Amino acid sequence: MTDFLLPLAVGFGTGILSAWGVGGGTLLLLIMTFFLGVDQATAQGINLLYFLPTAGMGLLCHRKNGLLRRDILRRAIPWGIGAAILAAWLATALHTEVLRKPFGIYLLFAGVFTLFGRRR
Amino acid sequence: MDNKGKLPLCGMAAGCVNGLFGGGGGMVLVPLLRQWCQVEEKQAFANCVAVIFPCCVISAAVYLLRAPFSLTTALPYLLGGLAGGLVGGKLFPSVPTVWLRRIFAGFLLYGGVRYLL
Repeated sequence: MTDFLLPLAVGFGTGILSAWGVGGGTLLLLIMTFFLGVDQATAQGINLLYFLPTAGMGLLCHRKNGLLRRDILRRAIPWGIGAAILAAWLATALHTEVLRKPFGIYLLFAGVFTLFGRRR
Repeated sequence: MDNKGKLPLCGMAAGCVNGLFGGGGGMVLVPLLRQWCQVEEKQAFANCVAVIFPCCVISAAVYLLRAPFSLTTALPYLLGGLAGGLVGGKLFPSVPTVWLRRIFAGFLLYGGVRYLL
């Protein structure tokens, strides 16, 4: 039962953060790989799927609250999808260890930038 | 460059990260939207979710195609995430944005260190 309940609880907690767009998925990935013993490739795949119901729910609320902007979405999404296809293809062609350090560095940069980025 | 030119690049950056690292992209997209495209903070977070969503669909499809994994393992996370997403969406307008940034940054830094060690 705990095999189900623990992931469920973890998914719930990170789901709240995902709806806020603050990296719940990343946290989930970290928890899965470091604490729940899930292997990197599976964790990444689960992470991608997991985002869908959580973000979906969040998006319904964001739309109701009038936060979504057509002008942004229309321009960013098509290019995002194109890039995602290529990047996902590349990722599944590489050994996961290759991506570990770049991922870590990327996270650090993003963290520092988020904390100390200039406010407007 | 006005936003017309910037937004496709932002989308691409998010898509790249999303596909390469199996999720996310928000960490790159939120700062880009806020600082480079001058989008208001709450909107930046919300629209980031909206952009990442289709990227995740596509990335997930590619991953399942190329490196299949067990969907029963994924199931509890998905269910938990569904419930959490609903709760999170309802709470979002009341969350002070400074906390959004702090939570966000905290996880990034923690994750970065763990992945490098």
